[in-house]
Amino acid sequence: MRPNFFHHLHPPTVPAEQSRWRYTLGAGGTAIFLMLMLILTGALEMFYYIPTPENAARSVQTITYLVPFGGLVRNLHYWSAQLLLVVSAVHLVRIVFTGAYTPPRRFNYLLGLALFLLAILLDFTGYILRWDTGIQWALVVGTNLVKTIPLVGATLYTALTGSVEPGPATLIRFYAWHIFGLTLIAMILMIWHAFRVRRDGGIAVPPPGLRTVSDRISRFELVRRETLAMIFTASALILLSSLAPAPIAPPITEISAISGEVSAPWFFLWVQQMLKWGDPFLWGVLVPLIFLALLAIIPYGFPQPDPSELGRWCPQSNRLAQITLGVIALAVIVLTLLANAR
Amino acid sequence: MPANQPSALRHAQDNTFDFRLFVAAGLLLFSLAFSGWVNSRTPKPLSLTPSLTGQPEYCLTCHADLPEISPAHPVQVFGCVTCHGGERLALDADMAHSSIRGGANPSDLTVVSQSCGGEKCHSGAAAAGRDHIQRVQTSLQSTYAGAIATIRFTFGAQPDLTARLAIAAVADDRIETETGLSALAVFDTSTEDNPSIQKFSQNCLACHLNAAPREGQTYARYTGCASCHAFAPAGAWNSQQTPIHTLSTAIPYSQCNTCHNRGNYDLRTMTFVERSDQPADRLHNYYQPIAQFTRCEYSLDCVDCHTRIETMGDGDLHSNKKEIQYIQCKTCHGTPTELPLTKTLSELDDIAFRQAFLNPILVLKAGEVILVTEQGEPLWNTRVLKDGTYQMIGKVTKQVFTFRPVKGSACTQTGANQASAYCHQCHAVKR
Amino acid sequence: MTPISRRNFLKIAATSLLTASGAVGLGGLLRFIAYQSEQAPAIEFDLGPAANYPIGSRTIHPNIPAVLIHTESGFSAISLVCTHLGCTVETKDSGFSCPCHGSTYSKEGRLLSGPAVEDLDVWPVELKDNGRLLVRKTIVQPRG
Repeated sequence: MRPNFFHHLHPPTVPAEQSRWRYTLGAGGTAIFLMLMLILTGALEMFYYIPTPENAARSVQTITYLVPFGGLVRNLHYWSAQLLLVVSAVHLVRIVFTGAYTPPRRFNYLLGLALFLLAILLDFTGYILRWDTGIQWALVVGTNLVKTIPLVGATLYTALTGSVEPGPATLIRFYAWHIFGLTLIAMILMIWHAFRVRRDGGIAVPPPGLRTVSDRISRFELVRRETLAMIFTASALILLSSLAPAPIAPPITEISAISGEVSAPWFFLWVQQMLKWGDPFLWGVLVPLIFLALLAIIPYGFPQPDPSELGRWCPQSNRLAQITLGVIALAVIVLTLLANAR
Repeated sequence: MPANQPSALRHAQDNTFDFRLFVAAGLLLFSLAFSGWVNSRTPKPLSLTPSLTGQPEYCLTCHADLPEISPAHPVQVFGCVTCHGGERLALDADMAHSSIRGGANPSDLTVVSQSCGGEKCHSGAAAAGRDHIQRVQTSLQSTYAGAIATIRFTFGAQPDLTARLAIAAVADDRIETETGLSALAVFDTSTEDNPSIQKFSQNCLACHLNAAPREGQTYARYTGCASCHAFAPAGAWNSQQTPIHTLSTAIPYSQCNTCHNRGNYDLRTMTFVERSDQPADRLHNYYQPIAQFTRCEYSLDCVDCHTRIETMGDGDLHSNKKEIQYIQCKTCHGTPTELPLTKTLSELDDIAFRQAFLNPILVLKAGEVILVTEQGEPLWNTRVLKDGTYQMIGKVTKQVFTFRPVKGSACTQTGANQASAYCHQCHAVKR
Repeated sequence: MTPISRRNFLKIAATSLLTASGAVGLGGLLRFIAYQSEQAPAIEFDLGPAANYPIGSRTIHPNIPAVLIHTESGFSAISLVCTHLGCTVETKDSGFSCPCHGSTYSKEGRLLSGPAVEDLDVWPVELKDNGRLLVRKTIVQPRG
């Protein structure tokens, strides 16, 4: 068979043992598919979305209720975005718990982490674009957190909101970041990330001499598996989006200014919980940044996995990295549950 | 396949792949079909763009079966959102109703200014007769200040009968009558120590425009403007029954009787004692058995005689209904020495024409002579006939009543004694 | 059924299902993007009291756009939209001319030279009871 464009995106052959779902969890591939889905549905939403304070929430209502299949498109966009965060987190866990970040993959690990961060920022900016009573407090709190950063806080705040408080300039800036700035960077990093996977020799495996199984599968088989996974994921997304609508709330008015949803979006609930403990800069900025920094130095400052232990789950040699990620993940989950239980 | 053979290429059988692809493709088509089915179950959007706002509303998608609220508020002009609020674009009931005003009743006094208010609507200038909301919110029917003052005076909580407290705190910055008050504070039961006043607040605050009515068919009414102008079905207050979507100025006595003529308060126990009879006919139903009244008092409806100012207030805060109720028998009949006041209709913008437009029981024309009250309110459903007699058309019954002035009759009652009790001595009906 | 025919059957069935899904998706996509989210612009225009327009006057109303003409025989409104491709025509001494592709019309809106092939539209003008003029961009009045 003559390889086509999609086959050429993959290495000619990959180790069979490490191409199995139970090793990769299919998380990286699913994340790429979700990003493509987000770009498609996002482009469609742009046909109707109006990024002005007077019209934003109403145009979201137009998409949700009036445009044929607009509700489906919006729900697909919403659920793809939420799943992207879940799938990215699973991907990160997989990489750390299989020690797949060793040289030459160290840099690609950082690219992946940057993509995770971008996914969170994209999710937050997209959430803000609803511009309804469901998001107003998250916007106020989120932007005010930036203000607490010493020295550069005030400048960053103005750069983010374009004013002294969230308003029309803020909405258009969030819109520009969401549909262009962040998306463009994420696209470039995603392509770079995927290129580096191939360049770095595909999925992490032990050196040839240390392998117990040397079976390989061809790029044709890989593309077939990906095709199946894509179709299944798309079906599941469509079913989910048909049954579970994305959140929506009434537009912001003077009357509604004192009411409305006061919870952060679910992926920032853990931060909201910590903010109850006091200093906003410490808990709202510094602690999340420390978490991020800890994750970033895993390939550089932590005990590295032994090459012979690559290609399988939970190698002994990088236990510390696994424990670090595990503790961070547990902390985030417990804080989220605490915030929900309030 | 041997395990250690280098570079052995493994892949699923074509057959297996084709089968999996078939299943996946089937699932995809099913999910699309399912999504289409879910989509087809949502109602087809029905749009209306009221000329007043020029913005499309989709409320009629679900509410197309509602009758027009009144001829003065055509849906093509006002739409729904102008009065009710709510999300005009949402097709999901919860979302659509999320920002609705006053639940099913936008005329509730807590939200009436946003729903019915406006310079050209019902909170405009007094001179234009458009200050309905200001007047109603200061009227005794919503402050209940008279009852509160009387009870507090009776039980020693205040030294005189001048009102100090009301159902809600209210102020009036333009006092126009001698008895007008500048402000009333809220009647807060937690600061009252007299047990009778406490009981009064528990048992006796169901008959004002802010209050949910007592239970029972005879008390069934809404709140706010709709207390009087919409005729609530029995039990409408807290049931799932479709509310009545009709406003009217042809208010039958039975609507007034959801608060009035229903019974009496027992001052010793501070409880409401319902009237014991349950008559079916108008003669016996109109007033309580003990009451004395004349034929016209029960054959007419309350609104045939009692005016806008009396029912909805004059814009001032008062202490007692005696300060605001001024229509007497002589308003229409005159006294042995004087004919009733009359007026020739002239200006096209006269309030009389507007009232006749809202309840078109007759066609008013400029040049016609009608009766007016001492305060100059037109009794627009009357006219002075050429032979010196008068005609009144029932605002609800549309019945035509012809009557003569007292002047020239055998009546010898002096002009100073014109309260109804004096007239009832000769003219009360027997039952 | 032989294995080969079973295999062909599965292939064909899978391909048909995928094609059907694609067609359904594309159909939904078309319906999605073809929704009219803006209201159609107004077709009725109040031109104010008829007394403002004496006989012989020609008044341009750029918001319609049309020119209101009052002659002995009454009011008429000639559309200023070129019937070729919709540009707004300019008024000239001789009548109207289109700046885009050069069509020309007489003072009564009749086509003088192409590329347009039709006369300018004439909208009905109604004199309301309150003495105001109303133009309605609906039916094309046949020229007398």
